[in-house]
Amino acid sequence: MKKILDGYQALLRWLMVATVAILMVPITMQVISRYTALIPSYIWTEELSRFVFIWMVMLGAMIAVRDGTHFDVDVWPTLKPRANAMLRIATNLLVLVFAMVYVYWGIEFVQFGWNQSSELAELPMTYIFIAWPLSGITWVVFLGEQFLADIRTIAAGDAP
Amino acid sequence: MMQSMLSPGMASLALFGAFFLLLVLRVPVAFALGLACLPILAYEPRLSPMMLFNETFKSYNSFILLAVPLFLLTANLMGVGGITDRLVVLSRTMVGRMPGALAQCNVVLSVFFAGISGSSTADAASQSKIFIDAQTKEGYDLPFSIAVTAVSSTLAVVIPPSILMVVWGSVISTSIGALYLAGIVPGLLIAAAQMVTVHVYAVLRKYPVHPRSTFLQFITAAVQSVPAMMTPFIIVGGILLGWFTPTESAAVAVIYALALTAFVYREMDLKRLVEALSETGRLSAIALFCVGTASAFGWLLAYYQIPKALLEHVTDWNLGITGVGFFIAAVFLITGCFLDAIPAIIIVGVTLQPLVQSVDMHPIQFAIIGIVSLAFGLVTPPYGLCLMVACSVAGVRLRYALKDTMIMLIPMLLVLVGIILWPEVTLILPTLISPELVK
Repeated sequence: MKKILDGYQALLRWLMVATVAILMVPITMQVISRYTALIPSYIWTEELSRFVFIWMVMLGAMIAVRDGTHFDVDVWPTLKPRANAMLRIATNLLVLVFAMVYVYWGIEFVQFGWNQSSELAELPMTYIFIAWPLSGITWVVFLGEQFLADIRTIAAGDAP
Repeated sequence: MMQSMLSPGMASLALFGAFFLLLVLRVPVAFALGLACLPILAYEPRLSPMMLFNETFKSYNSFILLAVPLFLLTANLMGVGGITDRLVVLSRTMVGRMPGALAQCNVVLSVFFAGISGSSTADAASQSKIFIDAQTKEGYDLPFSIAVTAVSSTLAVVIPPSILMVVWGSVISTSIGALYLAGIVPGLLIAAAQMVTVHVYAVLRKYPVHPRSTFLQFITAAVQSVPAMMTPFIIVGGILLGWFTPTESAAVAVIYALALTAFVYREMDLKRLVEALSETGRLSAIALFCVGTASAFGWLLAYYQIPKALLEHVTDWNLGITGVGFFIAAVFLITGCFLDAIPAIIIVGVTLQPLVQSVDMHPIQFAIIGIVSLAFGLVTPPYGLCLMVACSVAGVRLRYALKDTMIMLIPMLLVLVGIILWPEVTLILPTLISPELVK
């Protein structure tokens, strides 16, 4: 199970690296086309870079849930492993609610995008909106893994 | 607007109450902002959770925010491609003979770094690795080393280019070029204040001096760094001359850094490039995801006209322009403790705007007061991102370095007071260089 999730996370990470790299292309083309005659000035460059950017944000937000790198405010004293696991379960249950909202209403959001196409490049908006339910599902999966780990920590008890 | 079910007071209680409760429960800030919206979206018949999607989509679908990953990428390319190393050598030849040489070098490097990158978090991450260990080895106290690194990294958002200025300019429609110019003098003053603090520390605690560098060494280091130090001029100049938009200028900076590291310094290879790209995606996505949920939160505040209700009383105080300046600074200093700077601008900056207009404060001065106050927020607990980064590199908890951090902030506070009392501090450079931007 862990291997499958590792693989999935690696896939997401590679996609994210790709989006950062691709991000540069349309913006560079936009500048080059303005000052040289090397390439015509395409109208869709700005829109394309925005869409790649949206995917980058959503992919990064998915990965960060598994890494636990979304920033939080730490007002608690140093907790023992068991107490810490309990708090994390409570916290993650709340994040789970948010993830479920992204899945449930996210699907509605995608359906809403079904008949829309983007203003300039005329891409179906579904390709963009699908990032929302997908991140919801990914969070649910990653959170599930953390619930299991925390339950194991609680079961094991604190070392004497 | 049609009548809504909740009064502004009730709605703000529900929103802020839920948000702070979630924070205490250690829910990540980005999720806490989104979750806090849900009860109201479920309760208010006119609203639906679809608003969450529309607002997050709208906030990510912004060409100007694209500058954030690009600024981070520039910083990461500098780090892996050897630009940072050369700047370290240069700053060492400049301040090496002062007491506390390495700590002074830490501040000076932050100034150079700030001129190339616009991200304080990137500065804190890379300089923590360079300095904290090196300083403790030379006999500096660890809390002081962490504090200097974290506090000096905040310069990156005051000295242009700056992610916060780009966000401010896009959210509160102020000229980003003018903000860049306005940040230079306050940024250098803050750097000077920090160097004075470091000097006092170094003399009191007898921190070591480095051997004096020869003039030749300085010239060599300077010549090697010249290509890297051209970056701020390309970015700021390009924007002022109307060559590029702020986002495009950030892309140009990336290409320039890539070309430098690949062809001039020749330290870039594919593995390092992928590392820089991955780090960029990771950090910027975390920061920007939060912008989406913060926008939804801010949208609800506006829907219930909460800002108007909150500021009603403040207008009655008849503060005058200086009073309003101090009020703005206080509000941003407090929000900065709990929120990241970008969401703080989106939620608080927009809220304060009518108050600023009512006393005729210049929008540029307003922006710089806000941004400098938020720079403090990067190192103030419980949510001080740069201090968190520095502490995690040093492997200690946040409160460990707190006392020295607060001491380092006092002289900076004086600069902030100066910015509030004298509008000239911020307005002089924009007025001299491009008066049409100041109006």
